[in-house]
Amino acid sequence: MGRTLPSITQSLSEEQAAFNRFRRALRRSDQLVLDELFVAARQHLAAAAYSANLLPMETFLLAMLLEEHKETMHLRAQMENLQSRVDGDG
Amino acid sequence: MGMDEITGWLLDMYEDGERGLALWLIAEDGRRLCLHQAFPLRFYAAGPAPRLREAWQWLSALSNPPALARESRQDLFQPQSLPVLSVEARHPAEQRALFFKMERAFPDLVYYDADVQVQIRHAALYGSFSLAHCRVSVDDQLNVKAFQTLDSPWDIDPEQPSLNVLEINLMGDSPQHGQPAHFELRCRSWKKVYDLVAGSAPAYWLKAALCKFDPDIVITDFGDTWLLENLLACVKDPAVELPLSRDPARTIHTIREKTYFSYGQVVYRGQQVHLFGRVHIDRKNAMMWGDYGLEGILENARVTALPIQTAARVSPGSGISCMQMITALRGGILVPWHKQQVEQPRPLIDMIHADFGGLVYQPTVGLHRDVAAIDFVSLYPAVMVRCNISPEKTALSLSDPLPEDPGLVPRTLAPLLRKRVLLKQRIPDLPAWDPRRKWYKARAAAHKWLLVVCFGYLGYKNARFGLIGSHEAVTAGGREALLRAKETAEDAGFDVLHMFVDALWIQRKDCTQPQHFQAVQDEITRRTGLPIALDGLYRWVVFLPSRVDGRVPVGNRYFGVFQDGTVKVRGLDARRHDTAPWVAETQTALIEYLAGAPDADRLPEYVPGAVALLRQALHRLSIGLVPLEDLLTAQRLSRVPEKYSSLSPSARAALQLREAGKEPSPGQRVRLLYVYGKPGVWAWDRLEPVDAKRIDLGMYRKLMLRAAADIFQPFGISLQALTLMVDDHVIQAPLSPLWGIKKPWNAPELLRPQPVERVLQVNLSTQMAFTG
Repeated sequence: MGRTLPSITQSLSEEQAAFNRFRRALRRSDQLVLDELFVAARQHLAAAAYSANLLPMETFLLAMLLEEHKETMHLRAQMENLQSRVDGDG
Repeated sequence: MGMDEITGWLLDMYEDGERGLALWLIAEDGRRLCLHQAFPLRFYAAGPAPRLREAWQWLSALSNPPALARESRQDLFQPQSLPVLSVEARHPAEQRALFFKMERAFPDLVYYDADVQVQIRHAALYGSFSLAHCRVSVDDQLNVKAFQTLDSPWDIDPEQPSLNVLEINLMGDSPQHGQPAHFELRCRSWKKVYDLVAGSAPAYWLKAALCKFDPDIVITDFGDTWLLENLLACVKDPAVELPLSRDPARTIHTIREKTYFSYGQVVYRGQQVHLFGRVHIDRKNAMMWGDYGLEGILENARVTALPIQTAARVSPGSGISCMQMITALRGGILVPWHKQQVEQPRPLIDMIHADFGGLVYQPTVGLHRDVAAIDFVSLYPAVMVRCNISPEKTALSLSDPLPEDPGLVPRTLAPLLRKRVLLKQRIPDLPAWDPRRKWYKARAAAHKWLLVVCFGYLGYKNARFGLIGSHEAVTAGGREALLRAKETAEDAGFDVLHMFVDALWIQRKDCTQPQHFQAVQDEITRRTGLPIALDGLYRWVVFLPSRVDGRVPVGNRYFGVFQDGTVKVRGLDARRHDTAPWVAETQTALIEYLAGAPDADRLPEYVPGAVALLRQALHRLSIGLVPLEDLLTAQRLSRVPEKYSSLSPSARAALQLREAGKEPSPGQRVRLLYVYGKPGVWAWDRLEPVDAKRIDLGMYRKLMLRAAADIFQPFGISLQALTLMVDDHVIQAPLSPLWGIKKPWNAPELLRPQPVERVLQVNLSTQMAFTG
């Protein structure tokens, strides 16, 4: 059976490839950070497929944001934990 | 003329010229009888009225004209019934000849019921099927006057005849690799080994066994592709000197080999040798012998009504297609000769919303304990029945009430699904010694494959009752069911670690026994209307990331151990067909060794032992103790060597075989060894033997380490670290401090890879500093 549409993994690869010129012009350290963002988007491929958005990049950006916010929340919780320990010690 | 009534089981059925059909019956008194049944058949043509009139006149002018009639019949894809010209032939051979002649003269007409196998027609008319228990009235010429089927393919414990099975087992080499030296004949407790000498002697030995045991079923190795034709070639008059078929008027029927493309793979099917009045099954050419054996093949033939020899060799798709045709014929629905419906153009947005498959999630990578794997029982077929998905019906949703008027596809599937569920429910209640356990399992496995393909068949471009819209409705139903299951599990406080089309892996702190997961399963069934069952409770399970990028989770690479100690592996080298047996066995041995840990907490204690095991395996390789057969990899040739832009190992091996005059066809697997020097491979089936000194040990070591690295990955040991460890550069000591942290419920956190690697690196550099 053939495919009529690219799979969600193919879509992400294509979107990522579309930013190759942007990536090339970034500093090496920033390139690695950009790659991490796309890795973050890969964590939610199934949900992106299910959403069946006409513009999949929108969903990928949201997936990146989601992972970023998760990280922020995690760090915030750790911060608060440490803060309370410091306060407790104090 | 005297009439006789015979009760027995239907073994074989085929066309028999003007006499109609030949039916082979195993009578209850043990006799094997060949009966004859007149079998007039009809086919239909539809089209514009003037053309049908012309066809009528043309048929009436034939020298021996068939019976003609005008009728009104139902085409599944059309709302109104259709005026058709009915053509009745006196017997199946005449029907086929008439149809081909008529189709050449009137290619513009639409034909129905024109190419349905006689066994399917018989099944539709009399409810017959292979090994059906039946009562037949015959005259003294053994002509059937009345036929009645006494049981149904859906009976769970049907009364079975006692079948004589003769096995012809080739011993030693396979014929592709060399000349087999011996063969063994075996029937029940009798067995004898003979030399496979040149000349007619082996054929006579086989004839003696055929006469002595008169087998109903002959099981062979390479009987289709090599053995039987070779034996027949050794005798002058096959009908007398080697009567392989029971029917004295016939020898064998050969169907040529073929290569085709299916589900993204090039598939090769070897030549087939069919017998008459006796069943021949070639273990090496049967479709699913490895999965369900003879019991599964017989069950497949029962439920699909295909002849046993065909059921053993065709894909499950053909089986489903036959079942649908029987449902259609019984319901008075026309079976189109060619599919008429082509896909209609539709907006892109429709495709984006509908044309995709099942949900495959990204699992939470790492090691997890006490995880339940629950999966929907035959999800897609269940959705098709529940939502009444059939080309002629509007699909219901999972929330709608149950369908009142099931369509053709659900009507075909429902009894099969019911039988499979019943068998599966009965298996756990049977004691381990009960022979029915194995029988039930093989039969349930046969159903599984039929049910797996029934969904794909809806979207297959040549399926007579397929419609791409129905195909899409099934995947949509499957996605909805899986998401409802996810929501249900999350509502009940479970973490959903992974989801894969029809299965979920769920975990909750306080749930460590199978019964703890019953309530959530019941609730899922309530919310979806579909049965879901516990596949097993893992003591621990590891979801692996992608080999290319360790940060990216992939859907189907995991291994784990159930509470009863059984191991489950998916997507690893051990499961791949092109992995050398030594690599696969060592990888499995590593997992089984780890499975010895009573719980996930104790796993790190087993890591040193696993490293030792791996080291031992590599040592055996380096000193030449691994047999060459265990280093063979069997890679599929996807095209002829000329069509490769860069030659794959299998293509290079195929070129070597061509030189030896044994060129494989695309779709065939080529067995090869990796050797030093160009071209780097050695085709196993070439004539000269390989020099053991040429084996590329470095390549096999690399393949083994890569396979083993997957097993050590959850312990934070990378491929590089593992390579150093097996070479004794560093010991596993750094692992334990990491595991010393007591954090009972988040194993992945305990196993965070980075720190271990760091510790390892630190240790390594220290050690190197000392040694250097």
